[in-house]
Amino acid sequence: MTFTPTELEVEGAAGGEVVREGAPVPPPASGRRVARAFLRDRAAVACSVYIVLIVLMAVAAPLLVKISGYGPLEFDQDAVDPNLGGIPLGAAGGMGADHWFGVEPGNGRDIFARIVYGARVSMLIAISATLLTTALGVVFGLIAGYFGGRVDMVISRVMEFLMAFPALIFMIAVLSALPAENRQILLVLVISFFGWPYLARIVRGQTMSLKEREFVEAAKASGATSAQIIFKEILPNLASTIIVMTTLAVPGYVGTEAGLSFLGVGVVPPTPSWGQMIASSVPWYAVDPAYFLIPGAFLFLLVLSFTVLGDRIRKLLGEGTA
Amino acid sequence: MIRKATRAAAALAAAALLLTACSGGDQEATGGDGPGGTPQTGGTVHMLQNADFSYLDPARGWDGGVNAFYRLVYRGLTMQAAGDAEDPNAVVPDMAESLGTPSEDGLTWTYTLKEGLKFDNGDPITSAELEFGISRAWDPEIGIGSPWLKNTVEAPADYLGPYQSGEHPGIETPDERTIVFHLKAPFPEFDNVVSQVNAVPFPVGTGAGDEFIKDVIASGPYTLDSYTPGSSIKLVRNEHWDPDTDDVRKAYPDAWEFEIGLEGATIDERLLAGQGSDVNAISGKIQPATLARLQTPELQERVISAEAYCVTYMGMDTTQAPFDKLEVRQAMNYAVDRTSLQTASGGNQLALPATTIIPDAVNGHKDFDLYPSEGNAGDPEKAKELLASVGLEGGFSFTLDIRSNPIMQAQAESIQQALAKINVDVQLNVIDTSTFYETIGTPSQMHDAAITGWCPDWASSSSTMVPPLVDGRVITEKGNTNIAQINDPGINARIDEIRAMTDLEAANTEWGEFDEEVMALAPIVPLLQEPSVFLPGENIAGYIPNTSMTDLTIIGLSDPSRG
Amino acid sequence: MIRFVANRVLGMLIVLFLVCLFTFVIFFALSPDPAVQICGKNCTPEAIDQIRANLGVDQPFWTQFGTFLSGLFAGRAYGTGPNAIDCAAPCLGYSFQSSQAVTDMIVQRLPVSATVAIGAAVLWLLAGVAGGLLSAVREGRFADRFIAGLTLTGMSIPNYVLALSLQFLLVVTLGWLPFPQAVPFSEDPLQWFQNFLMPWIVLAIGMAAVYTRLTRANVIETLQENYVRTARAKGLSPGLVWRRHALRPALTPIVTIFGMDFAGLLGGALITETVFGLNGIGKMAADSITKNDQPVIMGVTLLAAFLVVVGNMVVDLLYTAIDPRVRVGSSA
Repeated sequence: MTFTPTELEVEGAAGGEVVREGAPVPPPASGRRVARAFLRDRAAVACSVYIVLIVLMAVAAPLLVKISGYGPLEFDQDAVDPNLGGIPLGAAGGMGADHWFGVEPGNGRDIFARIVYGARVSMLIAISATLLTTALGVVFGLIAGYFGGRVDMVISRVMEFLMAFPALIFMIAVLSALPAENRQILLVLVISFFGWPYLARIVRGQTMSLKEREFVEAAKASGATSAQIIFKEILPNLASTIIVMTTLAVPGYVGTEAGLSFLGVGVVPPTPSWGQMIASSVPWYAVDPAYFLIPGAFLFLLVLSFTVLGDRIRKLLGEGTA
Repeated sequence: MIRKATRAAAALAAAALLLTACSGGDQEATGGDGPGGTPQTGGTVHMLQNADFSYLDPARGWDGGVNAFYRLVYRGLTMQAAGDAEDPNAVVPDMAESLGTPSEDGLTWTYTLKEGLKFDNGDPITSAELEFGISRAWDPEIGIGSPWLKNTVEAPADYLGPYQSGEHPGIETPDERTIVFHLKAPFPEFDNVVSQVNAVPFPVGTGAGDEFIKDVIASGPYTLDSYTPGSSIKLVRNEHWDPDTDDVRKAYPDAWEFEIGLEGATIDERLLAGQGSDVNAISGKIQPATLARLQTPELQERVISAEAYCVTYMGMDTTQAPFDKLEVRQAMNYAVDRTSLQTASGGNQLALPATTIIPDAVNGHKDFDLYPSEGNAGDPEKAKELLASVGLEGGFSFTLDIRSNPIMQAQAESIQQALAKINVDVQLNVIDTSTFYETIGTPSQMHDAAITGWCPDWASSSSTMVPPLVDGRVITEKGNTNIAQINDPGINARIDEIRAMTDLEAANTEWGEFDEEVMALAPIVPLLQEPSVFLPGENIAGYIPNTSMTDLTIIGLSDPSRG
Repeated sequence: MIRFVANRVLGMLIVLFLVCLFTFVIFFALSPDPAVQICGKNCTPEAIDQIRANLGVDQPFWTQFGTFLSGLFAGRAYGTGPNAIDCAAPCLGYSFQSSQAVTDMIVQRLPVSATVAIGAAVLWLLAGVAGGLLSAVREGRFADRFIAGLTLTGMSIPNYVLALSLQFLLVVTLGWLPFPQAVPFSEDPLQWFQNFLMPWIVLAIGMAAVYTRLTRANVIETLQENYVRTARAKGLSPGLVWRRHALRPALTPIVTIFGMDFAGLLGGALITETVFGLNGIGKMAADSITKNDQPVIMGVTLLAAFLVVVGNMVVDLLYTAIDPRVRVGSSA
């Protein structure tokens, strides 16, 4: 999947591309200058704060749940009305001192606890998928770009093939047919399998232009091995591209995980996930809007934060200054 | 019946959503005309539903939803009585002049057809057409619906239906109006067998391959006008159906329109709003979320509820530890919190605690609770004592198979919570809907326990309610219904004893007793009976959901000029 | 030129073949036994074997794949004898759960998906290009920043969250739109429009955001090109410079991307169609997933891949026709 969070509907959209293939490699920006410019950018700071909060929330989930008093799987019969199909008692989906974000209709599970634990799933899957995608994308991109010729042709064809594939439908089909065990690992694998070509394509392009540069030629002349050239000369020059692409990839994967869970092929219940919470709120949206608004808002803000952050980092690194 | 293994998911979805996984009859509603007044002739009734019917071909389809539909287009020798009848569970004559006449030894049943019966093309229906239609049940690829004909009527093992093997050797047609069935063994309830949906007539030679997948040759009051799979079915009057030959079907509306493929929430919204032709609309049971919106007096007046005739239960594999111990199984029965299960399944309008196998609405039900608890909320103390008595005070862990369906998952999560209190750790194994019944019906694939449901094949007796779940001799490698795999000589002997009774009423009383005897051995944990709530459009009259399905043949519009 | 087209078509056919093969391998390995589904409730192991033989699913992989491929071009029959089911070319498979050929199911639902895709495409093209142009003209000023904020939001909102929010706001709370209901255009154009409005908006927002960014970047880049500067320096009117020298080259890449996006969408908007209950290909795919109706999932996957690959090629060829410079380097 590429870097538009809406990718789920926008299969094969090449439109989300922000860093273009074969674009000139930007000069490395000075770290301190970048940091200063970043801190001056209020939107970027706000987004980072939100992301850090969610990460902290995910890490401290067991502790937070102790404070709030309800676990993510715990039923609370007293919070719902059995006479009306199990709708939460009280205003705004049962929000109050007892249940901070209200409860789920039917079983009365605490939404705060499920949001907190759901953050774990979302972040874990998105970050693992990003790491795996980055590793695959960089390795294949470097190999294709550096060695060229037949190796390049094979890798390029595979990438073209994977990008032509209707990834969403296929991911769903594969996930729905696979057994439910280790679903989270499967999600990461399947997402990465279709995701790596988008980074690899760009790494390949930049590697191709880098290897023609004087410093690479010089290294070659001085007898450096291919591995040395790739890792010592080329890779450092790709760092900023990789950072930008990676930051922009995370929101896509957060959205993909939520979307797959929304469609019922993501994480297996009762493990909470934001996408799954939204999916189960669909029948209730008219009578209990809080049930979908809360996970919806958390998800939207997380995706937005990563997108804005990636956008800003790209500008900072790409243009040197903001 | 629909809960058996290896049914296509379409049928499951249809049954669950359309006529509510076997809805029950509201005994109080039976007296009146329903909320919409008296039905009048004319107009079009709209049925809004999510899933398509499993099959238009009655030899193939067999589930609550499609069975109700078949009543509109097909006729058999006998049928379940009208929804507003005094005993809606009863079996009454349809095309036959009377119920069947068994021979002295119970091995031969004879029926006489009424006069003036015709197909929708005007051709007469004689015993030959009936025999042909019935014999389709033996075709290995077509006869995948109700198994009862094949289970009871004598036929050689290599008989493969009319297309491959010709005429049925076990059915005789001495003249145009007489049909004689030769049975494998006496079967006192044979009138129920010929009321099954696949015991209907078809013109000789028709219906091979996929012919009846998209087309209908009707014998009932309506015939197919158009069919777009997955989106709509339109029925119009069968001009050749003679109401004088039919004591049950009223057939008030001139036409039926089934709108298929709508989301549950959309259906409810449309029924609530009641705009345009939606005043003439009906649907399957409403969603739990909609219950909260039925509070106005106008809507309350339209609401109709129906008792369940199925039971939702947890079966435990009695051949494996720890469920091989009676005390452990009894502990499960004590520990389960049925109140929480009830709320998780949509609250007390859509679920009631079940403590017996036979639901209240099925003839033969006996009220008892061998494992009582305060407010049905479970008795963890008692359960812990029982576990301690077999040295399991530290608890144990087991895997529970469930279907990937939101309600089933909520129920499983409730059990998980309740059993955590007695240190029993439940691992949920969510199985895809299309493979769920196949998996739990294969003992080698089923895990320690499973949540599933069971409905009787006919509501007039409990003979098809309890035995399939506990008869040790029906345990098979595939398509197993006794998922507890209990094989108790006492139980097996009792089943044979009650089945042999020819006094069906006395037999039903015995089935109730039998239910209690079985529950003493606790092979399963009855969880819930799930009643249904319906919201027919305000111009609908005669909407009376009976015990196994909503009887579409007596529904009409109170003002056919509306909509 | 002819050689280039021939190469391109050949490449496409190879990709399509690989897509078929890959899809078939996966579904061959994962699919539940169709014989079990046909056999129904009261099945015996012998009956299953017989049906399996009838359907040919006991054949080795390559034989089955061959049958599948020939079914695509020449049609095929499922089973033998009096109960054989015919599946006319192009046979994408047969769904034993809904007793229908997959091709028929797709054709039947194509109009809905096409309506959704066309309406959304018009919306996002208009909004995207207009927004992008405005941003480019006002580069760095308030309008540009405001639009930038909107596009980031549009790109970030998951479409099901947007769909539910819109439905809650416009239908339940404000009552501006009736509850979505599939009404054909011929029956009631107004209701038809109201029914499709929300799906169009939901699908268009994310795409419009992407197109805005692209248009903006392209236009700004083109305006900096030498030939535009020359044209300006020569004293051509700004309007003419814009139309002839800036817009056309700036929008060409948009057209190419649009082709692919649109083709992809024709294969069904899974989530949007599901949330709004529209009976299109996307909803059919989503439903088949819950039912595990593998032939349908496979058919839709192939169709979607086909549309994307063909869309890709058509765009490439068009692009070559518009801009001859591409021809030389693009086969790399």
